[in-house]
Amino acid sequence: MTTAADVSAADVPTPPRIARGTGLDRAFEILCFSAATFLLTALGGIVISLAIGGWPAFEAFGFGFFTSSNWDPVQEIYGAAGAVTGTLVTATLALLFALPLAFGIAIFLVELCPPILRRTIGTAVELLAGIPSIVYGMWGLFVFAPWFAKHVQMPIMMSVEPGSFWEKITAGVPNGAGILSASIILAIMILPFIAATTRELLLTIPPQVRESAYGLGSTTFEVITKVSLPYIRTGAIGAVMLGLGRALGETMAVTFIIGNSHGFPTSIFASGSTIASTIANEFAEATDRLHSASLIALGLVLFVITFAVLALARLLIGRQVHA
Amino acid sequence: MNVQVETPQETAVLELPPETVKLQIKDLNFFYSGKQALFDVSVSFAANAVTALIGPSGCGKSTLLRTLNRMYSLYPGQKATGQVLLDGVDVLGPRVDVAALRARIGMVFQKPTPFPMSIFDNVAYGVRLYEPMSKPDLAIRVEESLRRAALWEEVKDKLKESGLSLSGGQQQRLCVARGIAVRPEILLLDEPASALDPISTARLEETIAELKRDYTIVIVTHNMGQAARLSDHTGFMYLGKLVEFGETEQLFTSPVTTRARDYITGRFG
Repeated sequence: MTTAADVSAADVPTPPRIARGTGLDRAFEILCFSAATFLLTALGGIVISLAIGGWPAFEAFGFGFFTSSNWDPVQEIYGAAGAVTGTLVTATLALLFALPLAFGIAIFLVELCPPILRRTIGTAVELLAGIPSIVYGMWGLFVFAPWFAKHVQMPIMMSVEPGSFWEKITAGVPNGAGILSASIILAIMILPFIAATTRELLLTIPPQVRESAYGLGSTTFEVITKVSLPYIRTGAIGAVMLGLGRALGETMAVTFIIGNSHGFPTSIFASGSTIASTIANEFAEATDRLHSASLIALGLVLFVITFAVLALARLLIGRQVHA
Repeated sequence: MNVQVETPQETAVLELPPETVKLQIKDLNFFYSGKQALFDVSVSFAANAVTALIGPSGCGKSTLLRTLNRMYSLYPGQKATGQVLLDGVDVLGPRVDVAALRARIGMVFQKPTPFPMSIFDNVAYGVRLYEPMSKPDLAIRVEESLRRAALWEEVKDKLKESGLSLSGGQQQRLCVARGIAVRPEILLLDEPASALDPISTARLEETIAELKRDYTIVIVTHNMGQAARLSDHTGFMYLGKLVEFGETEQLFTSPVTTRARDYITGRFG
C-alpha cells in the first residue's frame, strides 16, 4: 500500500549535505589514545626511575632492606622494616577507627537524619574532606597531642598493670605524639572521604528495595544491616580501599605527629615513622648516595603497597560483580 | 449490550456484608507534604478475595495501597487521616507496632526487588525475623512458598545462587514467594506485572488466583483485562477519589457512574 507520505518522500530531492569524512573521528581516536598512553608511560616511567634510583640500596642490603628496622644514616645502614610497619599499622588502625564512624555518618545522613540537618551535616563532611593535610598536622601537634597526652595517655599508662601485655603495648613517652595519635589524625582525615562515598552509594539503593524490606516487617536496623549495606558492599569495599590508599600515603599530617623515630614500633604510644614521613623528613639532608637511594627505595615500597591495596580492591569488587 | 438509561450517579460504592470484610477503610484522606492525594475514601476489602484498584495514572491507587501497611510513614511529610481497620483495629493509630503490622501485610512492587542475597535467603528473610524455626522447618517453608509462587521447579537446584541472577519474571515471583513465606493475612500487589513479559504475567496471574484461597489480596493494576480476570471486586479511582466500587463483573459490564463507564469503555484514561 502506498501512502501519501511515501509519495511525497520520494518526490522530495535529497538536500545537499556537508561532506563529513571519517578523518575527524580518526583524529579524535588518536587524541584519546595518546592521552591514555601518556598516563601509562608516566606510570611506567615513575616505577622504572624509582627502581633505578633505589637499586643501590637493594644492592647494598639485599633482602635485609625489608627485614631490618635499623635505620642509621650516621653508619649508613638502612632497613625499611620500621617505616613499613609504621605505615601499615597507622593506616590499618586509622581504617579501624574511621570505618564505623564513616558508616554511621553515611547511614544517619541517608536513612535517619531529619531533612533540616541533612544539608548541614553533609556540607560539614565535605568541608572536612577539603581541609589541607598540613592543617590537620598542625592541629594534631599543637591541640590534639597535648590533650591526648593529658587525658588519654596518662590515665591509661597509670592504670595498666606493670609487666602485663597492656603495659607493653602502651609504653612510651606521654607527650601525645606517636603511632596511635597519628592513626587517630589519619582516621579523621579519611573519615569524610569514606563517609561521603558511602552516602552516595546508599543513595543509589532503589527506594522500593528498602520498602520491600520494611514491608516484610523489618526494623530500620534490620533494613540497614541486612539489605542496605549488603546492597552496596561492592562499592563500599572500593571506597574503603581508596581511603586506605590515602592513609598509606599521607605525609604531612603524619610527619607532624608520629614522633619520627626510626626502628620497629613496639607500642601504640611509642613514636615511630612511616615511609612517607621518613622521606619527607630526610630527603633534604640525604646527601650521600646510599641514603638517597634508600629513600627512593622506600618510595618504591610505598608505591608497591598502595598498588597492592588498589589491586586487592579491584579483585574483591570484580568477584562481587560476578557472584 | 447493556445500555444504561437512568441518570448516572457521581459515586457508587458497594457495601460489603460486615462478616466478609477483612480490611475496612473509613474517610481516608492522604497528604504529600500538604498536597492532598486521597479524598474521603471509604471502602471495604473482603477476606479471601481479590480486590482490584484501577484508574488513570496519578489517581491515588498506589497511594491507597501504601497507606494500608503504613509504608508512607517512612517518609516525613506524608500524612494520612481517617481509619484503616484491620480486623476492626485501626492500623493508622499511634500505638500500632508498624513493623509487626507490616509482617501481617505482604507487599509486592511494580519492579522486582530481590535482596542482595541467595534465593533461599531472600525467601527466608521475613520468616527469620518473626518466626525462629529449625533449619529443616525453614527449608520446608521456603520450598512451600516457592512452590506457591510457581518458581520452585525453576530454582530448586540453585537456591544458593544470588536472587539477582534470576530473570525479571522469576525475580518478581521470588518477591511473591518472599511475601507469602511470612504467611501474611493480606497481600498488596502494586502493578506486579507491569515489568513482565506476557508469559511471566500469565504465570503470576495463576499464582495470584491460587493464593486467593488463603489471603486477602489487593492489586493495583493498569491492565483492565487483568483486573477483570483476577478480581472479585473492583474499585475505580479518579483524582484521589474512589468513584465506583462493586462486583468486578458488574463494574465492567454495567458501571453505574459516568466516569467509570467512560474509563472502561476507553473514552479516557
